[in-house]
Amino acid sequence: MESRSTYLVITNNPLVVKCMPADLAVEYHDVTYREVLVLVRDMVYAGHRLYTHPLSGSVKPNETPYKSIVVSKKPKKMEMDEAFIISSSIETFDKFTPIRRELPERVLKDFRLIDYTLLCGAVGLDAVAGLSNNK
Amino acid sequence: MKLELGYIQIKDIQFSKECKVENGTLYVDPDAVKAFMYEEDDVKDWVADFKFDIAKPGESVRITPVKDVIEPRVKVEGGGGIFPGVVAKVDTVGSGKTHVLRGMAVVTAGKIVGFQEGIIDMSGPGAEYTPFSKLNNFVVVAEPKDGYQDHKHEYERAVRLAGLRAAAFIGEIGRNVTPDETQEFETLGIKEGIEKYPDLPRVAYVHMLQTQGLLHDTYVYGVDAKKTLTTIIYPTETMDGAILSGNCVSACDKNTTYHHLNNPVVAELFAQHGKTLNYVCNIITNENVYLADKQRSSDWSAKLCRLLDLDGAIVSQEGFGNPDTDLIMNTKKIELQGVKTTIITDEYAGQDGKSQSLADADPLADAVVTGGNANEVIILPKMDKVIGMLDYVDVIAGGHAGSLREDGTIEAEIQVITGATNEMGFNRLSAR
Repeated sequence: MESRSTYLVITNNPLVVKCMPADLAVEYHDVTYREVLVLVRDMVYAGHRLYTHPLSGSVKPNETPYKSIVVSKKPKKMEMDEAFIISSSIETFDKFTPIRRELPERVLKDFRLIDYTLLCGAVGLDAVAGLSNNK
Repeated sequence: MKLELGYIQIKDIQFSKECKVENGTLYVDPDAVKAFMYEEDDVKDWVADFKFDIAKPGESVRITPVKDVIEPRVKVEGGGGIFPGVVAKVDTVGSGKTHVLRGMAVVTAGKIVGFQEGIIDMSGPGAEYTPFSKLNNFVVVAEPKDGYQDHKHEYERAVRLAGLRAAAFIGEIGRNVTPDETQEFETLGIKEGIEKYPDLPRVAYVHMLQTQGLLHDTYVYGVDAKKTLTTIIYPTETMDGAILSGNCVSACDKNTTYHHLNNPVVAELFAQHGKTLNYVCNIITNENVYLADKQRSSDWSAKLCRLLDLDGAIVSQEGFGNPDTDLIMNTKKIELQGVKTTIITDEYAGQDGKSQSLADADPLADAVVTGGNANEVIILPKMDKVIGMLDYVDVIAGGHAGSLREDGTIEAEIQVITGATNEMGFNRLSAR
């Protein structure tokens, strides 16, 4: 596993911003799930390594509004297989029927939590310990 | 390794002060079950109360949101105890004799997160999509203690353990009951197997386990499988609960503990063992989110397939999206070792069924069995009784605002139904 210092988390999840350890770089964007995928796609095309799968979790892309993906902080050389994974993730996103609904705050909170724990599981962080930073 | 399963057919469940099986009826004391569940500290700390109910096939009953489905079993001979590393000590299981309370299940239900899904209808069109509508279900509805909102990891663990403990308690009731039917399963050593079946193709089952995070985990002898490397397990170990579900998202294609205990791929490979093939073993591998983990785990699957001199492998996945990449990586690499594969998956092909089914693909993955299209829309009629709660129906996968209509019917995709498109093939959708 690469050193944590090489990671950059691209996220639209405020809980991730609050709970990640100080030595892990986080870039927060106030955008949609799909826009996070597009941001990461463009970074991968520019040579950033894709470290985590964009479609982490069984919560469907039209269900949760939150997405966090880890890429390399610095661009290197574009990896074809990683470019394929991020671009086909956008295709997968687009095949889900958009759901128009207002989600209550308690549900949004749980979606933020799941996205956060999937990220922790991916990079080997203790999710429960990190939550103590969410004061 | 040899295991004998003794099936005790359960035709009815009754609440009773006495715990026994008599003439195919299970009599069970819910207070005694509750006391056994509360012996676990996590349960004491996080569960305020349990409510019990019984749901029988054909009744106008809807159980939701379902967390896990578990078949009660008890080890009566051989090493270890049921659910090793979680309920029993971590000793190796899979040999000796195990009694199975067949025709029933423990179903755990209740809120954990606000979007939780999982519907089991005991009658009507929805019942046709879930195998659990055909069972007598002992339903345990968990009520969290105040403050659980900020302790979801701990509460999830408590409910998971509580369900397993309830099933272990009920399984124990069958210890001294004479089974209605017995069946033996045996896996030989590598050399013995080659000598006994020199002309049969050597086939293994590559069993992919959901391993991503909270509500997306699987445990092997109590170990979180995302922290493991691909390894080998005797198929009979899985029949004694060596693999347990901690997966609670995507109801249609999650593998419940019941699925792990009754894995249809294992059953079918054993049925063909010594006739059309030599069933060598199971290879268990994970579905981590970190791409380098995927690379490592799928490399390992392929290495083991080669080392075992396999001719063929059945590969099953669990979940949506991320695992598709593991599925294709495993399949491609195993094929490149000269081992033929057949994969089992389900599809997210859109409500019209016209979209690409998986998030990944490869020409080498040319033999596929599908569990069905999870995006297919269904209307579930109102049921007379709900066990659990309907609070979540509007926010579950495949549901939408207005899913729960005023007349009590639900419009949603079949992904809301527990086991509808199971990726081991343990479901009721078929083109046969």
